Amino acid sequence: MRGRVLHRISHAWARAEMCVAAVLAAAITCLVLLNVVTRAMSASIFWVDEAAIYAMTWMTFLAASAAVHFSHSVSVTLLTDMLPRPALDIARRVVDAIVLIFALLMLWLCWRWFLPLDLARAGFDSVAFQGETFNFIYAEPTLTLGIRKFWLWLIMPLFAAGLTLHAVSNLVHPRSETAAP
Amino acid sequence: MTAALFLVLLFGAVPISIVLAMTAMSYISQSGNAVLFDSFAQQMFAGTENYGLLAIPLFMLTGELMNEGGMTKRLVNAARVLVGGFRGGLVWINLLANMFMAAIIGSAVSQIAVMSRAMVPAMEREGYDRGFAAATTAAGGLLAPVIPPSMLFVIYGVLAQIPIGDMFLAGILPGLLMAGSFFVVVTLIGLAAEFPKGDWMSAPDALRAILAALPAALIPVAIIGGIVLGIATPTESAAVASLIAFLLGWLVYGELKPSHLSALFLRTAQNASLVIFMVAAANVFGWVVIYEAIPQKLAALITSLTSDPFVFLLIVMGALLLVGMLIDGIAALILVTPILLPIATGDYGISPFQFGVVISINLALGLLTPPVGVGLYIAASMSDVKPTAILAALWPFLIAVLLVLLAVCYFPSLSLILLD
Repeated sequence: MRGRVLHRISHAWARAEMCVAAVLAAAITCLVLLNVVTRAMSASIFWVDEAAIYAMTWMTFLAASAAVHFSHSVSVTLLTDMLPRPALDIARRVVDAIVLIFALLMLWLCWRWFLPLDLARAGFDSVAFQGETFNFIYAEPTLTLGIRKFWLWLIMPLFAAGLTLHAVSNLVHPRSETAAP
Repeated sequence: MTAALFLVLLFGAVPISIVLAMTAMSYISQSGNAVLFDSFAQQMFAGTENYGLLAIPLFMLTGELMNEGGMTKRLVNAARVLVGGFRGGLVWINLLANMFMAAIIGSAVSQIAVMSRAMVPAMEREGYDRGFAAATTAAGGLLAPVIPPSMLFVIYGVLAQIPIGDMFLAGILPGLLMAGSFFVVVTLIGLAAEFPKGDWMSAPDALRAILAALPAALIPVAIIGGIVLGIATPTESAAVASLIAFLLGWLVYGELKPSHLSALFLRTAQNASLVIFMVAAANVFGWVVIYEAIPQKLAALITSLTSDPFVFLLIVMGALLLVGMLIDGIAALILVTPILLPIATGDYGISPFQFGVVISINLALGLLTPPVGVGLYIAASMSDVKPTAILAALWPFLIAVLLVLLAVCYFPSLSLILLD
């Protein structure tokens, strides 16, 4: 029962991830076209390239997390395909568990990188934070977008959290019941 | 230990990108460079920060739009005019249409996916074996990496820091040679097995089919023209091509509605992210390559074996076939180019263009070779046959590509003559 609720949350989250990813794919197309048009009129907008690249980055990590829910990832199934049905189910569970381990490791790595507790301890003052930790994550600027880069980097913890949700849900909920998007 | 983990995860059906990232994690924890963990997520993110990579979703979108907008169908029809009446005509059509499509889609995997859906049911209806139909389609997909615009060439050009337009020129002759060799293979198979016979179209029908396909031909012209003339980067010409494909499908062919776009963007996001996420994971995997100084060790080993560029290329071919079997084309390209290119140009004086053509064909070949040929699995799942059934019909094509590859290695002019 709990598995079913969790699965529903995971499903809704994966759909939301794919929705945003699709919007970003459309944004990439428009931004690159905008670049072509403005350059042809010798009026290039300098931040468009960088915006298109980060739209792609966000699209990639959002869809990569959703791929775990929808089982879209590319993997080598040559050996596992030869297994009889019960063994195949066990092998799939093992893969689900490995994906969960990866997701948790990613969460931990993002924690090490963003150091949220140290930031809070420094009173959200990035200069004091840097003096404490020699971690310059909150100071790094973007080249042309005019915002701090950590706003863009936030996709990594978001990705790790989504991945963890989908991986846990896959583990407690049989995979065969997951529906297509 | 790291190598063992890599193999266990890879063959245990763990997603390839996660295999790469976890191998890198294991390497870092063993090598004692724990400080690398602090920038691990950042390094993954940085793997996607590349302007050239934008071409990937855009080319995929163009492919989707062409398919949904009825352009694929019309190109297949135009091919039917040329060869439809021959015995085994549909096989020829499949190859010809694949050649057109190769000039547009630029990714072997998505080309195989698109063409399997279009061609395999049609061939089966005319009485071909489904495994053979899927094999012909998969073989046609091998043309994608060489006929411009090729995704592998885009990424190779970014990595090797050479003009992507010139890289496309270098691929034209080898691509035509490959297509020619496929026609020879099909003829030989046709002599052995009795292919079903198709019908010739009447002259007015033929004219209509060709006229209908003409606007679709704008797309490769826009892509290649834009890049070669230096008007647009490959990324920009891909965006322009997707716009043209959309307008043609909507206004000229009337098969596409703006309301279809959301589903197309969804599929583009899904498929492009598979590839780009792999690039991101390969970026952390690259640490393993760099910290172990693999290029230097390898260069020392190979130069002690031979000083002949052709023999070097043969060694590379063998190694890449193996790599291509294990790792998907684009990820493999990203892994091997930084290792092998300095050796090829520095120690053996091979042109980076010739080298790019050789490794791209090589890795595409790997796409269709078990155990990991992603293209093989996609063709199998799209046409609902076992990979082994496809392989049984595919091997003559693989041998043909291998022969072309040897020729491209032996005669540098095949890839360089159009550049002069």
